[in-house]
Amino acid sequence: MSVPDYMQCAEDHQTVLVVVQPVGIVPEDQFFKIYKRIAGVSQVSIRDSQRLLYIRYRHHYLPENNEWGDFQTHRKVVGLIAITTCASSKEWPQTAERFHGQKEVYSSTLYDSRLLVFGLQGDIAEQQRTDVAFYPSYEDCSDVEKRVEDFVESIFIVLESKRLDRATDKSGDKIPLLCVPFEKKDFVGLDTDSRHYKKRCQGRMRKHVGDLCLQAGMLQDALVHYHMAVELLRGVNDFLWLGAALEGLCSASVIFHYPGGTAGKTVGRKPSISQPADAGKRHRPGALTANGISADTSTEIGRAKNCLSPEDIIEKYKEAISYYGKYKNAGVIELEACVKAVRVLAIQKRAREASEFLQNAVYINLGQLSEEEKIQRYSILSELYELIGFHRKSAFFKRVAAMQCVAPTIPEPGWRACYKLLLETLPGYSLSLDPKDFNKGTHRGWAAVQMRLLHELVYASRRMGNPGLSVRHLSFLLQTMLDFLSDQEKKEVTQSLENYTSKCPGGMEVITLPDGLKLPPVPFTKLPIVRSVKLLNLPVSLRPHKVKGLLGQNMSTASPFIYSPIIMHNRGEERCKKIDFQWVQGDVCEVQLMVYNPMPYELRVENMGLLTSGVEFESLPAALSLPAESGLYPVTLVGVPRTAGNITVNGYHTSVFGVTSDCLLEGLPGLKTSGCLVEVIPSLPRLQLSTSLPRSAHTPQPMTKEELSSTVSVQLFNGETQQLTITLENIGSEDIETLELTSKIVSTKEKVFGEFLSWELEEALSHLPLKPGQSVTLTVGIKVKLDFSGQENLLQDLNDDGISVTGLPISSPLRQVLKPRAETKTVSESGKAEYSHVKTLEAVLNFKYSGGAGKVEGYYRDLSLGVHVDVEPSVFFTRVSTLPATSTRQCHLLLDIFNPTEHELTVSAKNNQDLVLHASECQRMAIQVDKFDFESLPQPDQETARFTNPKQLEEERQHAQGCQINSKLGICWTHPSLRRRGEASVEGVLNQLVLEHLQLAPLQWDVLVNGKPCDCDVIADCKVGDAVSLEVKLTNLSKNSVGPLALTVVPYQDFQNGVQNYDLEDAVTFIGSNTFYIDTVKPKESSVCVGALLFLYTGDFYLNIKFQDDSAGRELPLAWFTLPSVHIRAMDTPLQAGA
Amino acid sequence: MAVCIAVIAKENYPLYIRSVPTQNELKFHYTVHTSLDVVEEKISAVGKSLGDQRELYLGLLYPTEDYKMFRKLHNSFTDVMCNPFHNPGDPIQSKAFDGIVSGMMVQTG
Repeated sequence: MSVPDYMQCAEDHQTVLVVVQPVGIVPEDQFFKIYKRIAGVSQVSIRDSQRLLYIRYRHHYLPENNEWGDFQTHRKVVGLIAITTCASSKEWPQTAERFHGQKEVYSSTLYDSRLLVFGLQGDIAEQQRTDVAFYPSYEDCSDVEKRVEDFVESIFIVLESKRLDRATDKSGDKIPLLCVPFEKKDFVGLDTDSRHYKKRCQGRMRKHVGDLCLQAGMLQDALVHYHMAVELLRGVNDFLWLGAALEGLCSASVIFHYPGGTAGKTVGRKPSISQPADAGKRHRPGALTANGISADTSTEIGRAKNCLSPEDIIEKYKEAISYYGKYKNAGVIELEACVKAVRVLAIQKRAREASEFLQNAVYINLGQLSEEEKIQRYSILSELYELIGFHRKSAFFKRVAAMQCVAPTIPEPGWRACYKLLLETLPGYSLSLDPKDFNKGTHRGWAAVQMRLLHELVYASRRMGNPGLSVRHLSFLLQTMLDFLSDQEKKEVTQSLENYTSKCPGGMEVITLPDGLKLPPVPFTKLPIVRSVKLLNLPVSLRPHKVKGLLGQNMSTASPFIYSPIIMHNRGEERCKKIDFQWVQGDVCEVQLMVYNPMPYELRVENMGLLTSGVEFESLPAALSLPAESGLYPVTLVGVPRTAGNITVNGYHTSVFGVTSDCLLEGLPGLKTSGCLVEVIPSLPRLQLSTSLPRSAHTPQPMTKEELSSTVSVQLFNGETQQLTITLENIGSEDIETLELTSKIVSTKEKVFGEFLSWELEEALSHLPLKPGQSVTLTVGIKVKLDFSGQENLLQDLNDDGISVTGLPISSPLRQVLKPRAETKTVSESGKAEYSHVKTLEAVLNFKYSGGAGKVEGYYRDLSLGVHVDVEPSVFFTRVSTLPATSTRQCHLLLDIFNPTEHELTVSAKNNQDLVLHASECQRMAIQVDKFDFESLPQPDQETARFTNPKQLEEERQHAQGCQINSKLGICWTHPSLRRRGEASVEGVLNQLVLEHLQLAPLQWDVLVNGKPCDCDVIADCKVGDAVSLEVKLTNLSKNSVGPLALTVVPYQDFQNGVQNYDLEDAVTFIGSNTFYIDTVKPKESSVCVGALLFLYTGDFYLNIKFQDDSAGRELPLAWFTLPSVHIRAMDTPLQAGA
Repeated sequence: MAVCIAVIAKENYPLYIRSVPTQNELKFHYTVHTSLDVVEEKISAVGKSLGDQRELYLGLLYPTEDYKMFRKLHNSFTDVMCNPFHNPGDPIQSKAFDGIVSGMMVQTG
């Protein structure tokens, strides 16, 4: 006996073996259909005895194994059911012949047999035969089960009679020696009369009877017989049979203890009739059966004593196996016993002891095994290990079995079977084929063995001729085991992957195996590794902005409170998900990924694009090549949203090594993202700017480069103006419906006078709406007017005439610092460079435009143009001072003008001649100006005055004054050589003192001599002897009332040699008082006092009108009280008349 | 004689595995891996019968002459775990531990 039945279990000992075989030509499917129905009758309750007979069916059984039937009766074929097809009665004899032939094979052990004939009709089918049943067809055979039951009953009768026969003939007669096939030759010539021999015969027979009892359903009897057999055989050291007796004992005990069976799923026992309580009782009625045969007396011995405890069962199994082990030829028996014991232990949940039995089973040598048997053996070992919960061992043996399937010695390797078995080992190596299971954190497992297994799967699937499968497995290997692959292995794996994909590209579809196993797709999330995903905002010039005023529409959540922390909180959460910028329909938008190539060589990623949802999106895939171990590498994926709405970036797709993958962001470990949901607003127009001036690389400081679409740059002299022509072109697909322009001077230290940028937008607006492709031009005037005052060091250099500089406060710290430089005050080249340095002025022009669907939603776009002006100095006013003019209403403004340029310069002012300045030349220019009535300037209204700070107010006032002065002066400069001209402003140069000087005093004094106003150089004529009326008029333009004041008129004569003669009492006499009193003059009012003088001699007289010290009320500035000096020429009347 | 020493994390993956004949490492991987079945069985048995009592030493899988082996290895393992820079659960990469292991292999093997 060489072929073990690995499916055996302990309870098989109580079954009777029936072989079901086809005779002649029987279609396989039909045979198995009938076989199944027959096998359904696995237990039969015997009439009148309440005993159960268990039947084991086999459709294939080696006659060789049958020879061991005496050793263990359940190995004996006791029944034969033959199935045959017989179409006509002609064939019948032949069929019957065959049936008999079949019977011959098992004739030595057969109790009974049946033949089931299908298809035969007619006379022969009519006859009633017990051993043959006729059925018209395979479909029409309803009573097959009934037939089988009858058959089983007949077997039982034989069995029972055999049992009784063997059980009773113990006395007297010579007991035959039962032996196993290989023993037969050993007993030749043995003394059959010895006590030893007799005992041996007795023992073996007892054991045999025990088997029969067990089969016949008399468990207790069997136990007793086994016990007796064990004792008898132990005495004679008949180890093989002792082992069998012990095993029998174990089997019977197992049947008693575990009526549910030990084989698990394979057995279809009906538990209702095999309750443990019944198990004991079962035999008793049987003992008192109608046929009058009394049961063995030993049944009265307590069954608990006979039956082995669960622990003992294992002990006895061990003993039995050790006995079997003594016989080389009993390997199969030993192996089967091991298997049976393991099954029992599995039920007892004693896994470790079970593993010892299995370990033993592994080493049982059954001689030369065929490859198929080896596979079967390893598979069964694997199954048994699985049964006791040793999953790893189970996987190990399954893998060995799989390898056996494709052993080099096999001519036709079974790759399919190998692959199937390998798949079954996966759980044992805690390996699932779903890459999602590996995404959580780092991979932890037996990488070495897992990798090996994956390699084997790849190879097996390739040999199976399923390249798609190998690609999937190889992708999986690469994706999940990347961290464990050495550089060399990485190279090999990727190379073979590329080889495979060249024939069968890998995709994202689920591969379903024929047995239903689904292989999920393996996205290459590690090739490359994506570390962060960032949705990028549109370039500044294309960013949409929401019109503030329209916000009210969607402020449905607005609460009556201006601020509520609760609402803010909710909003915050919402924001977390949604990124607070927008993309625009139809405009290319970008997502930046930081990727990393973990491979030791260059990685080529093709067709990398975005996976999105929510909005129709046109992804524009990119191909990239990442250098080896690249480190973080930015990759920008682009696409165009085609509709408006909320878009979610779910992931990206790649194609690496010929495998396309869809990588979803949610599954990526260690990914940094700031949100993937963005709103796409309806399309907006696009504007492109071109200018007449050259572009520059300068960027106004607080702005970043990207904020400005472009910057123009121009070089101008201070005071110059320049026209900038801007062409606006609609390059989008929507009409531009609105356009606004604003400008902002970027914070600069320089003070700018006048309007820097000015434009007229009406002309451009008249072209709206601007259709795509159309353009419109706009002219912007650039006017630079910076401070014209000379710089400190320049002043220092020029300040060599010792005249104090009135243009700057004396206490300026700069001045002190720079003092030492006064030593080297020659206007050196270096010095020149310093004061001729170029200042820059920057501003931003902002175009707001909108149109199309986006405008309806309340969005607009912003386009910024930077204007960068390098301002070169044109002229400097190094010093400003005033000289009083002859009239109190006028004065002279003295300007020291310096030409810092290297060219000749002409300066002109209103009603003044041109002044030509050579390079680096400084000249003084005197301009006579009327004094200014600053009070007449528009005053800021009370409201604004109240809210602005006083300093600012003061500045504003000064600015206004400066403007006024400037416009009066109208100073222009021209570079004749460069043909450039511009204005110059004194605004920045004027200081308080100069301003005061230039200001028309609020108290206006008018002196009229003889009714004629007398001022400056006007000489009033009068006649000697005539009374000259002198009228002094005070007009109060200040805000407060002035006075009372007392004025004294002092006449004097100027001899023009520095001597003034005040002793004129003889020459001039006052008519009335020489003192005038002016009462309080209220604001905006005037007061006149009149007096008279009488000149007694001819001559030139001057009148000095002085305030009396006590009356002036010194709180008002002195300048207000300067009265014009009066020059009177007294002449003789006749002379006059004569002239 | 020790030919292979492995330290296994409780989540069933090797923290450390080293064998002397380096040419057939995979074989030892398989051996250690399959022997874990027994360890698992033992651990589950301890949990059932002894309850709170924690006996960390499970006994020998196969009898060995040199019983100081476990103590030595365990002491070294404790040292590794005491290293504040070691992250429990990471593979063991310690020179000292390596040294002890190779010492045991050389001494016995």
